Amino acid sequence: MSALIELTGVSKRYGNIKALEAVSLEAHQGEITCVLGDNGAGKSTLIKIIAGLHQHDAGDFTIEGEEARLRSPREALNRGIATVYQDLAVVPLMPVWRNFFLGSEPTIGRGPFARLDVERMRRTTHQALLRMGIDLRDVDQPIGTLSGGERQCVAIARAVHFGAKVLVLDEPTAALGVKQSGVVLKYVTAARDQGLGVVLITHNPHHAYLVGDRFVLLMRGEMAGSYQKEEISLEELTRQMSGGSELEQLSHELSRTDTA
Amino acid sequence: MKAAPTAEPAVAEREGDQPGHKSLGRLMRRPELGAVVGAVAVFVFFSFVADSFLQTSSFSTVLYYSSTIGIMAVPVALLMIGGEFDLSTGVMVTSSALVSTMFSYQMTANVWVGVGVSLLVTLALGLFNGIMLVRTKLPSFIITLGTFLMLTGLNLGLTELINGTVSTKSISDMEGFASARDLFASQLTLFDVEFQVTILWWLGLVAVATWILLRTRTGNWIFAVGGGAESARAVGVPVARTKIGLYMGVAFAAWISGQHLLFNYDVVQSGQGVGNELIYIAAAVIGGCLLTGGYGSAVGAAVGALIFGMTNKGITYAQWEANWFKFFLGAMLLLATLLNAWIRKRAEAKS
Amino acid sequence: MTAAAMAAVIAATLAAGCSSTGGKRAEEEREQSKGQSAVDTPRWKIAMVTHSGEGDTYWDIVQSGAEQAAVKDNIEFLYGHDKEAGRQAQLVQSMIDKKVDGLIVTLAKPEAMEKVVKKAVKAGIPVVTINSGQDQSKAFGALSHIGQDENIAGEAVGTELNERGRKKALCVLHEQGNVGHEQRCAGIEKTFKGKVDKLYVEGTNMPDVDSSLTAKLQTDKKIDAVVTLGAPFAATAVKAVDQAGSDAEVDTFDLDAKVAAGLEDGSVGFAVDQQPYLQGYEAVDLMWLYRSNGNMLGGGQPVLTGPQILTKKDAPALKKYTERGTR
Repeated sequence: MSALIELTGVSKRYGNIKALEAVSLEAHQGEITCVLGDNGAGKSTLIKIIAGLHQHDAGDFTIEGEEARLRSPREALNRGIATVYQDLAVVPLMPVWRNFFLGSEPTIGRGPFARLDVERMRRTTHQALLRMGIDLRDVDQPIGTLSGGERQCVAIARAVHFGAKVLVLDEPTAALGVKQSGVVLKYVTAARDQGLGVVLITHNPHHAYLVGDRFVLLMRGEMAGSYQKEEISLEELTRQMSGGSELEQLSHELSRTDTA
Repeated sequence: MKAAPTAEPAVAEREGDQPGHKSLGRLMRRPELGAVVGAVAVFVFFSFVADSFLQTSSFSTVLYYSSTIGIMAVPVALLMIGGEFDLSTGVMVTSSALVSTMFSYQMTANVWVGVGVSLLVTLALGLFNGIMLVRTKLPSFIITLGTFLMLTGLNLGLTELINGTVSTKSISDMEGFASARDLFASQLTLFDVEFQVTILWWLGLVAVATWILLRTRTGNWIFAVGGGAESARAVGVPVARTKIGLYMGVAFAAWISGQHLLFNYDVVQSGQGVGNELIYIAAAVIGGCLLTGGYGSAVGAAVGALIFGMTNKGITYAQWEANWFKFFLGAMLLLATLLNAWIRKRAEAKS
Repeated sequence: MTAAAMAAVIAATLAAGCSSTGGKRAEEEREQSKGQSAVDTPRWKIAMVTHSGEGDTYWDIVQSGAEQAAVKDNIEFLYGHDKEAGRQAQLVQSMIDKKVDGLIVTLAKPEAMEKVVKKAVKAGIPVVTINSGQDQSKAFGALSHIGQDENIAGEAVGTELNERGRKKALCVLHEQGNVGHEQRCAGIEKTFKGKVDKLYVEGTNMPDVDSSLTAKLQTDKKIDAVVTLGAPFAATAVKAVDQAGSDAEVDTFDLDAKVAAGLEDGSVGFAVDQQPYLQGYEAVDLMWLYRSNGNMLGGGQPVLTGPQILTKKDAPALKKYTERGTR
């Protein structure tokens, strides 16, 4: 079975600076692919290419086996790729239901008299959230009044509802506490169970190992490793992720100053 | 895979909602609530201190002045909800009037031709503001400050160049003037009192703007581009088009105001309008628009214009010492806005 | 929206065609002025710097008077203006730097202008003051002052109102903090036997002028005379009087085409003209006379261009002049 999206040897340069060099990645239906890396490892560049904000310079990017070059987030959405950004998931002052349908609002009537199908929007929002396991009492409350985890969940539920095949999540747990992170990860697996391919970007190997099926490690724009879950243990993943030998070096240095 | 078809009929009724409590909650959350309370307070205040404030004819005067502000404040509010400012609105009204009258006069054309040309030119000004904003990505404050200064200069310079003086020539003896005046500057008699037609334009604009804002996709986008432009872009909202559209909406209202100015006073002074842009913004803010965007309402802006109108004229009706006029005006506005903010805070805390 | 706009314009154009009344064509059928140099003196450079704001009809007429005299006298005429006194002084300084052959200047804020005017005099540039600054003109070293005393103009209005049997007048100020305007109102108060009320309006916002006047007249029914301090506001005052159902008479300072028409149809009682055209024209002409023949007007006293009270009987003659912007 072919991958939903597959990147092979993808590179990206900004002027003279190479942001991404020969990175490969695949996401399959009903699987979670984790992209791990420190700050500046090239994770956000990778996300921007998949989400249609930037285009790659070299390598292949295929969607369901078809060569793709996405020119806008709208195009990515139309091809079934939905991206949920860490801080940009929602518009805080707007009610939950308006956020849920933002950019894809259903209307009734035609021409200049087309109006929002408000009742359907409220109802559908409530149901879609319920299906993800969130029971909101009032979908009219500004989404900013929800917790950070809940907001990510609304964004995930939105992507699922609008028929995304691939869900790209940018550091969904970065700004959250332990409990909230757990909630979000639960919804990520809920999305996976509904048959989506998930690309989870994170710098937390513990979160990644909990839910991931494949792991891609990035370091300074280059691919430092690519594993299936059965090929690697959490300890090894953590070691590689946190800089591997570099960390050992650092611990030596620190212990020496300690004894001195 | 679209929305799972099994889910639609599954949850039919909403559980645990008491409709009465919910609609009250929604009302308390409306942005214009504070402004409405402020307006009532200002009204009651001047009813006591100014004897002639409660005459129906006074009512007509106050509404007329409020409408001249309100026609502009409503689209300005929409623009502010969309996260942008427009400092060129005051002089754009004058530009619109000048284009209309000078075109008709110089071409010796039916005044309706001038009115049409003016609509095109004014919309083009709005388009210019919008395109400059989305292309250069500079703050709208800077761009429209530039437009404001350029228009101020163009208004004076072109008028003087074409007419030889800085005011325009009378077009009241030209064909089409009477019918154009009927549309933009006539009076309607109601209960033996004459009301200016601008009040109808004002109410019409409020209705249209409210409908757009709350019941159309465009409205959803306006809130989104003001409340989080990047988030909106990420889910596929056409941010640039929405903002350009908002600037053109402001220009459209400037056209209506400009034609009123022309057909009500016949001769247009080219230095007019400077400073009014701040009054429009003030009305929108009093009406509950956030300066940072993403929040506000058209009704609120209309009520803000009414507060401004009542305060401004109320001081005259109360016959207060003329020298202190501006001080009273400022103090009243500050009080109304504070009351507004206080109410909103209380409402938010409760809901 | 653009489509709607196009449709509206197309509709308007189709329904429209041309206007057979009024407009430019009618104007062109009327006569023209201007002319050419009538003298063969050298081409002197004369500068005028005023405290005019942007788009002030009054100063426009002063300027066109000055320009007409410059054409006739073969003079290169330089004009600068700024409402803010500091910048007006800088403009004067730049004229001194250009080594002009004569300087015409207004002293709306005399303290701010004193230094630079004295500097011009010291540099050997003949200075004539116009419009405002009658009391300081001589002390600063100017050769003469051409203008109207605002107090005297106000007093003339007060006297005229008495003759017309008015009891309560409303003085409409369209610019807060303008000294000349305050003097005009003070002048009215001095000679007028009735009571004078002041009303401040936002001069740059015509609907505000309109509704504030209406509100005032609705409140105070005793007002039987409205005096506007600028010509453009007279027509609006007429409208407001009508709306308020008042029977007050509208009178005004200064003159324009609308006021002239108002005088003719009786909607404006009288206008007090200080003849701005004359201030500009005379100042430039006087400079030429001084340069070519050593003449000077006034004998150390100000040369007054007003007040001239204009009424219905003057209207027919005035209309022609106001329409071409010379009165």
